[in-house]
Parts: sequence; C-alpha cells; structure tokens
Amino acid sequence: MDRNQAHRNRRRMLKGLHFVGLFLVMSIICIPGLWIILNSFRPTVEIMAKPPVWNPSFTLDHYRAMFGGAGQGGVPVFSYLWNSIVISVTSTGIAVLIGMSGGYAFARYKFSGKSGYFVGLMLFRAVPGVALSLPLFIVFAKVGIIDTHFGLILVYVAMNVPFTIWLTDGFFRQIPKELHEAAEIDGCTRWQAFWKVEFPVARSGVASAAIFAFLTSWNEFALASQLTRSVGSKTMPVGLLDFTAEFTINWGGMCALAVLMILPALILTFIVQKHLIAGLTFGGVKG
Amino acid sequence: MRRRIPEWFVLLMPAFIVIAAVVLIPLIFSLYSSFTPYKLTRPSTLWTWIGERNYERILTDWKFWAAFGRTILFLTIALNLELIFGLGIALMVNKVTWGQRTLRTVLMFPMMFSPILVGFQFKFIFNDNVGLVNNVLQSLGSDAALPWLVDGKLAMFSILFAEIWMSTSVFAILILAGLFAMPRDPLEAAKVDGCTPWQSFRHITLPFLMPFIYIAMTIRSLDVARAYDIVQIMTGGGPARRTELLWTLMSRTGYVDAKMGLANAMGYVSILLSIAFTIYFFRKLSAARAELGMGA
Amino acid sequence: MTEVTLSNVIKRYGEHQAVHGIDLEIRDGEFVVLVGPSGCGKSTTLRMIAGLEDISGGEVSIGGRVVNDLPPRERNISMVFQNYALYPHMCVRENLGFSLHIAKRPESEITSAVNEAAAILGLEELMDRKPAALSGGQRQRVAMGRAIVRHPDVFLFDEPLSNLDAKLRTQMRVEIKKLHQKVGNTIIYVTHDQVEAMTLADRIVLMRDGHIVQVGTPLELFNAPVNTFVATFIGSPPMNLLDGVVTENRTVRLIDGQELPIPSSPRESVQPGQKVKYGFRADNLSPVGHGVSDEGETADIALRIDLSEPLGTETLLFATLASTEIQCKMLNPRPVTSGETMTCRLALEKAHIFDAQTTQVIRSN
Repeated sequence: MDRNQAHRNRRRMLKGLHFVGLFLVMSIICIPGLWIILNSFRPTVEIMAKPPVWNPSFTLDHYRAMFGGAGQGGVPVFSYLWNSIVISVTSTGIAVLIGMSGGYAFARYKFSGKSGYFVGLMLFRAVPGVALSLPLFIVFAKVGIIDTHFGLILVYVAMNVPFTIWLTDGFFRQIPKELHEAAEIDGCTRWQAFWKVEFPVARSGVASAAIFAFLTSWNEFALASQLTRSVGSKTMPVGLLDFTAEFTINWGGMCALAVLMILPALILTFIVQKHLIAGLTFGGVKG
Repeated sequence: MRRRIPEWFVLLMPAFIVIAAVVLIPLIFSLYSSFTPYKLTRPSTLWTWIGERNYERILTDWKFWAAFGRTILFLTIALNLELIFGLGIALMVNKVTWGQRTLRTVLMFPMMFSPILVGFQFKFIFNDNVGLVNNVLQSLGSDAALPWLVDGKLAMFSILFAEIWMSTSVFAILILAGLFAMPRDPLEAAKVDGCTPWQSFRHITLPFLMPFIYIAMTIRSLDVARAYDIVQIMTGGGPARRTELLWTLMSRTGYVDAKMGLANAMGYVSILLSIAFTIYFFRKLSAARAELGMGA
Repeated sequence: MTEVTLSNVIKRYGEHQAVHGIDLEIRDGEFVVLVGPSGCGKSTTLRMIAGLEDISGGEVSIGGRVVNDLPPRERNISMVFQNYALYPHMCVRENLGFSLHIAKRPESEITSAVNEAAAILGLEELMDRKPAALSGGQRQRVAMGRAIVRHPDVFLFDEPLSNLDAKLRTQMRVEIKKLHQKVGNTIIYVTHDQVEAMTLADRIVLMRDGHIVQVGTPLELFNAPVNTFVATFIGSPPMNLLDGVVTENRTVRLIDGQELPIPSSPRESVQPGQKVKYGFRADNLSPVGHGVSDEGETADIALRIDLSEPLGTETLLFATLASTEIQCKMLNPRPVTSGETMTCRLALEKAHIFDAQTTQVIRSN
C-alpha cells in the first residue's frame, strides 16, 4: 500500500510540474506579442510614463497616424505595405513555379550526382543575407536595378527557390509514381499528367511551400535594407526603422506597424499549419 | 534514338539560372573584390590587386577574432538551448491530452515573426526606461533600472533571449511531429520490460527523434545569419562592440566604413561558417536516417 | 485484331540486364499470365509493353504495329496497377471518365461509357465517392473500371490482387475471369502467385532471371514441366524431388539404397550411372486404397508418416524418404497417427525424371 501511495504522490507532483512548466512556456511565447499589440493601442504618454501605468487606456491614435500618411512622424505606411505586397506575392509566385519544377525533377527523375546537386542548392540558401548584400549592392547598382521592385523580387526568388525545392520534393515523393503512369496510359502527355493529376494531389504541399516563401520575403530585412532606398521600393521591415530617430523611438507607432506586419503572416500560417509541418518532415525524413 | 537534353535538367534549369544570377555571380565578384582594397567611395580601387592582404588583415585583427569567437559561442549556446527547450516543450505538449491543437498553434507563433520585428520587440521589452521587464521589476519593488541593452553581459543575454524566443519553436514543432509519428509498441514493450521512464526516453524515444532533430538543425543552420537582424536592431553590435558578431562587423565595415573589399573578405569567412554548419547537419541527418532505415 | 508480339525484347539498366531477349506471341483475345519469382523481369516486360520503360533492344508490336518508341497514350492500352493508382482528388465517376475527358470525347459519350463500365463492375452506388472512402476490393473494381472504359486493344494487369486479403483475392480472381469473358480483349497479367496464374490464364509464361522458362497452358505446365524449376514453382504443394542414380536395370537408386522404377517415357533415354532427380506430385503418391488407382504401372513404397494435415476431403501426409521430406495425399482419409508406417502407391506414369546437372526433364523423343 505504501509503495502505491508513494507512486501516486509522485504522479500528482509530476502532473503539477507539467502544468506549471507548460504555463510558463506559453506565457513566454505569448507575452511579447501581446505586449506589442497592447502598446499599439496605448497613448505615447502612457507608454513613456514613469512610474509605469498598469491599467491601460485605449486609443487608435497610432493607427490613425499610420494610415493618415504623412501624419505623425510621416511614415508612408501605405507605400511600404504596397511594396511589401507586390514584392512578396510576385517573388513567391515565381519562386514556387521554379522551385516546383526543380522539386519535381528531384522527386521523379534518377540522375547521377543527385544528392550533390541537392545539397549544393541548399548551400546557396545558407549564404548569409548580409554577406550577399555587399556584392549584390554593387552589382545591382551597376546594372541599375537597385531600389526597384524588380531587383528585390529577383533576390527573393533566388533565396526561396532552394527551400521550395526541398519542400515540394518531399511532397511529390509522397505521390506514388504509378499515378502519373496511370495518367499517361489514360492518354495524358507528361505535361498533362502533371497538371491534371500530380499537381492537384500535391496542392496542399505546394501551398505550404508558397506560404514559407511568402513569409521569408515578407519578413526579410538584411538584403532589403541595403537594396532599397526610397519610398518607392522600401518594404515594411525596412520601414520599421523609420520610427527610430537618433535618440528617440516612436514605440506606439512602431507597434502599430508591427501588428500590420504580423497580421497577414498570422492568418496565412494558420490556414496551412498542418501541411507546413508535414512538408518539413517529409522533405527531411523520407529524403 | 533521339538524343536530347534530359528532362530533369530542363526542369532544374530555371533554378540554376536564377541562383547563378543572383547568388553565384555576386559571390564570384565579391571573391574577386576581397583581393582588392575596394572602397565604395573610390571605385577605381576595384582594379588594384592586393592579393590576400585583406585576409591577412582580418586574421591579424583581434576585433575580427573577437567577433568570430563571439559568433561561434553565440551559435553554440543558442542552438543547444533551442534544442533543449524545443525538446522539453515538445515532450510537455505531447503529454497534454486536451487542447493540444491550440498549444501547437501557439507554438508556431514566433515562427511568423520577422527577425527584425523580434529585434524591435525585445528592444522595447528590455528597454531600460519604458521596457516591460524593468517596469515589472520596479513595480515589484526593485529600485534600480537594469541596463539590459547597455551593459555588455546583459545585452548579450537579451540578444540570446530574443534569438532563442524566435527559433525554439522550429525545434519544438518538428520534434513534436516526430513524437506524433512515433510507433507506440516499442515504448510499451520497454515499459513491460522494466525500463524506467528515463531509460525508455534515452534508449527508444531519443534515437527515434534524432532525424527530426537534425531536420530542425539543418533548417535552422540554413538561416543562422538571421541573428544579424536581431543584433543590428537591438544593439547594433554595441555597447562598445561587446555584442559584435561576425555579421554586424561585416556590415559596419562595408556600409559604414565603405571598405567593401575588406568586408567581402569577412563575408567569405561567414559564408564558410554557414556552409560548415549546414553540411555538418546534413551529414548527421543522412546518418541518422540510414540508422533508422528511413532513407529512400 | 490485337495480337501482341515481342521479338527478342531486351531491357538493360546500365550494366545490369533485366530481360534477356524475350520472344512471345500473344493471340487476339488471349489471357496470358506472366509469372515468376520477384526480380524475374515479368513486371519490366509488362511495363515495356505499356511504354512505361524504354525498350533497350528488340521489338514490341501491338496489333501488327511496332510501338517501340510510342508513348503510352498512343498504344491504346490500359493498365491496372498493383496499388490501383486511383486519382485521389477525383471521385469514382471522374476517375472512370478521366481518359475519355483527356481524349476530348463528347460529354454524352463519356457518361454512357462510364455508366456502362460501372454497371459491369457494380459500382453504381459508389460513383460520387473519393478513392479514400473505398475499401480495397472497391478500389480494385474502380481501377478495372477505369481500364475498360476506353475499350482498349490490350489490358495490362500488374499484380492487381497482391494488396488484397486472401478471401477478396479469390473473389476478384473470379471477377477478372468473368470480365475477360464479357469483354473478350487481349489481357496480359503479371503475378508472382502461381495459383492466380493457373486459375486465370489461357497460357502461362513462366519467367526466371529475365528469361522465359516455359510457355504453355496451365495443364501443360503442371503435367509436363520442362525442368525442376517449373516443377517446383507450379502446383501446390511443390513437386517432390529425390536425388538418385540410374542403375543397370533401369531403376533409380536413391541415396538410402532404395530403388524406384523409371517411368516408361524416359526409360530408354537415361544412361546407367546418370545422376538424376526423381520427381512426382503429392497427388500421385497415396496410401494404398486412398487415391492412386491400380491401373497403369505403379510402385509401392513403405513410408513412415511424420505428420498429417487433415484438410477435410483429403489429408496431406508428410514423410521422409531417402533423407528428403516429401508430401503425399490421402483421399477419403481416415485418422493417421504420427509415426505410423503406411504402404503408399506411386503412379509411375505421372512421375518425371530430371537430369541432376542441367535440371532439364528427360523424356523419350
């Protein structure tokens, strides 16, 4: 009986620890984001108040200023948002097309040196953005595509292609090759077999690859900060810097822009989160 | 019969072309310029060949070595802690019976944040004047405002905290996926055979999780340099270069001091570092896969 | 007229040769089964006929037309795959009609063809389901329906039943045979299961290591195997084979000294001293009064029974003869105890003599 009691006590204690641990972890994950959201709705005076004010008041000032164009601080948020959307969407579309064709090649064809090519492509993804930004800055300036949408789109396509290949390769590999053989026997050309059978089956995987590419482009800073200069091409991560002056930072305005940045990413990720995880693991484990 | 370009090559062509244009050619250019005293302000310096003098200068510069060492240390600590925390979180979430989906969704939260946003977020939270941390500490009765981003050691801690906050979820999510995929029978057999929880974790769960851990490591190592964004925003390498990493040093040398040749030489060192990390984990990944018989 | 002809067809994968020059003529409307152990090249041969593998040498023609370099879609064939390869994103109706849609046939024609196929296979109730919502047998039927919708010249089946459980397999076997009788097309069917081959085929092509070993009707292969491989591969249980040496008085002396008379057909073709394998099927050796009749030449052997397996109408007996485990069959069985010694009668005319070296059967003329 005693030993049963001891085990029961231990189990109860572990359960308690488990709960406390989870609670702590989730708090640490959530609080920073919530803090940003909260502060985007607080007046600047209150954010700066000493001693701190704990029961917050509510204001939409920062959003009003942000969308009011050249209002407070004069940060042209609409232009940045538009640039971000154009650049991210276009580069994602192109990267997915190119990456999908590459991923298909890796999943379906046998050729010598395959894994070598694969690792090689991945290594290009590993080149640090900062290290790449130095020569790109010079080359783009020479070619004359610095500070343009086109330049940044090109960069993001190249950045996203390797990882898109990794993901789509994993998804295409899951599809039995008999499927396109059956389609070919049913009268399809290879091209038709891909678009009518394999692509629809892998659709969710391709979607998650697209989300990843989009997030990378949407969030990228190191390259964008060097390759864009003007309102006409700066993206939101670069625009975030506009809120910092020499010695002061407009915290409230920054928080509002941060919320605007994180919102689309949040929505997109929730839509495909299941496939996202499946894609990452399949790409790796079954590779 | 018909001798044509193989289809796989045609399919990979666009990828090769775009990567060659955007990554390979600039890298070749930067390799060349790393052997010149190229300064943005004096374009003609691009044509002066100085051999490996830039590299010599780097290798004899204690500031570079300090940054290099700090980068390695930073990555080692960050990656290890991320792995340990990720493993811990995954195990805890795996044990949850109710609301697991919600927890998993919350776990993905930091993955969506732009690194620069993470930087700003923690710059705000660790701000010595209006930051959340100091506000809480002061409300709890501590009178001194801790100089989180001003003191060298505390700044490094803050940066590490931000980095770990951002990247732990990649580990947690992938390890969790591994735990979900894990067959139950071996664990139950071990229980019946008399393994303690620790033994069955050590000898059954962990080996099964290894490939998943290496996937996470590989994905992570593809992107080690994004810590640059965080550091750049939070401290800019300061105070007094106490948080200077390879990447911030490089960007300062290139853009602020306009010494492109020298910066590109540093760039090469950082590229080699990233590549070394990636290859190392790729190797580990295929080894772990082979061991579990998961390979194709 | 859609006969399929293979002449000297070769498949090479780099250095490795998988199929070594196969010659085969398949008549219009014939049901031919390619059978053999895994890795014998049967699937590769089928995939070359389908156009899914390049042909490294030789010629494949369908309906008198050489198709070596035609893509699958121009060969007018259809194929049922081992894992069915149903399109998971389409419902049954769409799966069935896919090939006709691709061929851009008019909608009314597609509908009637799909309905006709569904009726033949009893799929009417399932038309709007996705493959994931179907059982194994239903998927199998849809795969067959997809194949018959287009009225192809030739049906190809690649181990279509191996993913089903034993009961369903028997049932689908019957359906495939009925289907063949109904539509009457040429069918080429690949399997590793000799029971499927025996029950389905008009003609069996038995392959090993990329070569054809024997071609013939199921009964030809069963009754007149050309070598020990065919003898042990076809039929269940496999043929009993005993090592022995031909003696001066035209018997075979087994390794324990016991002598068995040589059946009449090879009697004149063996040489004294020749090393042979003496083969007979379990059906042709049974306890006296329990199967083998007294007509024709017979030989009696005393056997100590190691084990018996009652199957109802017959009992399978396991015994050891000349250090080799053999099996024999007892019809109208009575209970048998292990260790019991029984006199068994061998129907000599059904016994075979194989050369021990070449494994080929020895027969007069």
